[in-house]
Amino acid sequence: MKQLDAQASDETSRQRVATRAVDTLCPYCGVGCAVTYVADVDHNRIVHAIGRDGAANAGRLCVKGRYGHDYASHPQRLTRPLIRLQNAYPKGQLSPMEQRPGKPGGPVEHDAVLPHFREASWDEALQVVADRLLGIRESHGSDALAGFGSAKGSNEEAYLFQKLVRAVLGTNNVDHCTRLCHASSVAALLESMGSAAVTNVVRDVARADVAILTGCNPTENHPVAATFIKDAAAAGTRLIVINSRRPQIADYAALYLPIRPGTDVALYNAMLHVIIRDDLLDHAFIRERTEGFEAVAEAVREVTPAAAERICGVPAADIEQAARMLGEANAAMFFWGMGISQHTRGTDNARCLISLAMVTGNVGRPGTGLHPLRGQNNVQGASDAGLIPMVYPDYQRVDDPAVQERFERDWGVPLSPRPGLTVTEIISAARDGDVRGMYILGENPFISDPDVNKVREGLANLDFLVVQDIFLTETAEFADVILPASSFMEKAGSYTNTDRRVQLGAPVLQPPGEARQDWELICEIAQRMGYPMAYDSVADVFDEFAACTESYASLSHAALGLRGRWYPCSNPETSDGEPIVFGDAFPRGPAMLVATRFTPADEQPDGDFPLVLSTGRVLEHWHTGTMTRRSAALDTLAPDASVELNPTDARKLGISDGQQVRVTSRRGTITLMAELSEAVLPGTVFIPMHFREACANLLTNPAVDPWGKIPGFKFCAVRVEAAREAA
Amino acid sequence: MDTVTLQIDGHTLTVPAGTTIWDAAASIGITIPALCHDPRMAPVGVCRLCAVDIGARTLVAACVRACEDDMEVHTSTEQVVDDRRTLLELLLADYPEDSRREAATGDDELLALARAHGIEAIPYPDGAIGQPRGEDHSSAVIAVDHQACILCDRCIRGCNALQHNDVLTRTGKGHTTRIAFDLDTPMGESTCVACGECAAVCPTGALTNRALAGLQLMTEEQS
Repeated sequence: MKQLDAQASDETSRQRVATRAVDTLCPYCGVGCAVTYVADVDHNRIVHAIGRDGAANAGRLCVKGRYGHDYASHPQRLTRPLIRLQNAYPKGQLSPMEQRPGKPGGPVEHDAVLPHFREASWDEALQVVADRLLGIRESHGSDALAGFGSAKGSNEEAYLFQKLVRAVLGTNNVDHCTRLCHASSVAALLESMGSAAVTNVVRDVARADVAILTGCNPTENHPVAATFIKDAAAAGTRLIVINSRRPQIADYAALYLPIRPGTDVALYNAMLHVIIRDDLLDHAFIRERTEGFEAVAEAVREVTPAAAERICGVPAADIEQAARMLGEANAAMFFWGMGISQHTRGTDNARCLISLAMVTGNVGRPGTGLHPLRGQNNVQGASDAGLIPMVYPDYQRVDDPAVQERFERDWGVPLSPRPGLTVTEIISAARDGDVRGMYILGENPFISDPDVNKVREGLANLDFLVVQDIFLTETAEFADVILPASSFMEKAGSYTNTDRRVQLGAPVLQPPGEARQDWELICEIAQRMGYPMAYDSVADVFDEFAACTESYASLSHAALGLRGRWYPCSNPETSDGEPIVFGDAFPRGPAMLVATRFTPADEQPDGDFPLVLSTGRVLEHWHTGTMTRRSAALDTLAPDASVELNPTDARKLGISDGQQVRVTSRRGTITLMAELSEAVLPGTVFIPMHFREACANLLTNPAVDPWGKIPGFKFCAVRVEAAREAA
Repeated sequence: MDTVTLQIDGHTLTVPAGTTIWDAAASIGITIPALCHDPRMAPVGVCRLCAVDIGARTLVAACVRACEDDMEVHTSTEQVVDDRRTLLELLLADYPEDSRREAATGDDELLALARAHGIEAIPYPDGAIGQPRGEDHSSAVIAVDHQACILCDRCIRGCNALQHNDVLTRTGKGHTTRIAFDLDTPMGESTCVACGECAAVCPTGALTNRALAGLQLMTEEQS
């Protein structure tokens, strides 16, 4: 008879692992999933992730949250401060851009770069940083300094970093990667409503009759949010999906509109045209809650669906149908992503979506709202905390004398009234010699910014660069000093997700070697530069940040607890916060509707560069790959870069699936594998941004949107040709 | 709202009409054992471990049966417990000697229930002998052991209803019935997006996290 031994496992062949379970958050995207990480105490590594019942995820996780946690224990983690050796000057990149034959692809060639640096004590490294930054401030002025913070850091780190740049370096030259993702959406939302946060949460889509998903690919980029959108679709919410590269969520759509890249304004203005022509307007909402409607109506008068079809390629009948579905819906919600924002007219694209929502009265009620899907886990919070060159925390303008006076009083130093430079402007200024010293915390502009050759010139031209990060990033190759920091898994702090939910992350692991907490390093650099900056805990930093940020004023670490709160939250004791805002009024009063006219993208295809390139992410990887390419599971699932090419174009070019091809723009060339796909329209190609050895941003156009200053990552002209096999 | 009033193990309670017996019992702190049911999913009533006595001709599955007025539910009579024990023994008859889940994270729900019911020997022949159900190690993150699968459908609902990835399904008939990916392709070659929901909801060693192979996790206090 078969015996059942309750302890049946083969004890001898198994490694018994002492574990500790910590309730925290996923470090990746803006959805902000709550997770419990189970850590191997003795080996200081995470072994297992369990979805927690968070407001945004209800226990669900995606591949990155579930399996992408091992980067924190990667052997290439930085463990001691590093100082560049004398013979490593003049500065330049230290590992090759292209994959060499026989050399496995991957991020920085750690072993090639490390010999150019020597280990230093914390005291020496921090003193060099303080002395060099002070030296540049004295000889060239405060505006010769700049800092990049990070949307992967906590609210507390973001607050301290912008405080350091403003109060200690003395300049407003502080920005972060929101400039590269939703700066145009933020510009349009601030202009229209006086607030850039989402007006309702993702899961409110369950109450929408219609949801428009445009320029976003949630199943890859916000996978857990996508599950709730698919829930809604299964329960009757009709999805209208608009994209130039067919996202998988189109499988669940009532209507899919494949649009030519860069022609969004024509499509939305035609939808506005139909809604006005057929009187599908919410007249009471327009009258009581908006201004500027007449100008919008005038601007779209001639934009008939037939006229728009000629520009955007979407059949006029489909435009009519989308407009009617939206206009006749009782509740409609708008999701958008980088396909809207990352254009040289990204702000106009967002303005159109705002107008569509406002003229149909679809803001401020259940199942209605404007939801730009935030990318990084704390891009909302980093922006709220003032990692933006024009504004202090809470979007208070630096050029408003009353605001300046208040922060001068709070921080005890004179502050600059001049709005600072943005990410791309700082890089240009570095190339031109106007910015001479930089502090980069947790960002990797060498891979993430447009036109990498220009970034290389800018970074190489700096007199002094300090990089604070967990790995030797591509950007750190240009550093004079590298400071080993703590990963998400090693620190406490608050993070604000795409839903405006402020949630606490908790330390799961010990920092490796001598690596230190980011917030302590910021404080120590400030102290060594002569500015008192000291806190007993991260919670104290939060309190100072909340005191100058109205939407966080009622919150504290203790009040956030294990589940967090949505802001605004009148009383965290009794309320979970507001999932839907602006039911009665917008912060600026009536919402401003701004008329737009179709303007072609900055760089048009021609005979030499006949195809349009769009860049983006894949499910398994994250931004510049610093984390995910050092995760065994994620790197195994998606090891290589490829360019998606429509089979029609491939046939004309004589290219077959899996073949190596060269992609060339006016700025550079990369070599990677061709992947034939019907998802991309004929005449367009798509390349993910994560792979240094096939760096998409060697190709991209640095031209920016005039209002949001965001680069048009989603549009540049390229040609594709078969690569000659390496000899 | 319409409500119904019933008794569960002697406790009188009133619940909204349509509430299942399983949910009603849970609301007063009575956990009825189940392997296929998960409160996050629509119930399917396939494992029958939640069968309870309502005085009807046969036991009824509490996870799918709605409460009725004046119903008298008994969740742990001798007959109910005997019934459960027989079901567990049948499920264990062809269960692998070494459950991957039990060995790694120690939370195999089938073995936990067997232990709770004092099962030590299986009075049935081992159905796996001569007809093994096989394993699938093609996925980079999840190990599939069909022999440990009890066809509870949790993974299928996790994939399709919770995550809407629509990859998992069933294939085969009778003894050859098993879970399958897409049109029965190896997991690693299917359209699986590796979200891990199937392994997270699996109650047995059928779907487990590959990274935990060779590890036996103990909470800190136990070590």
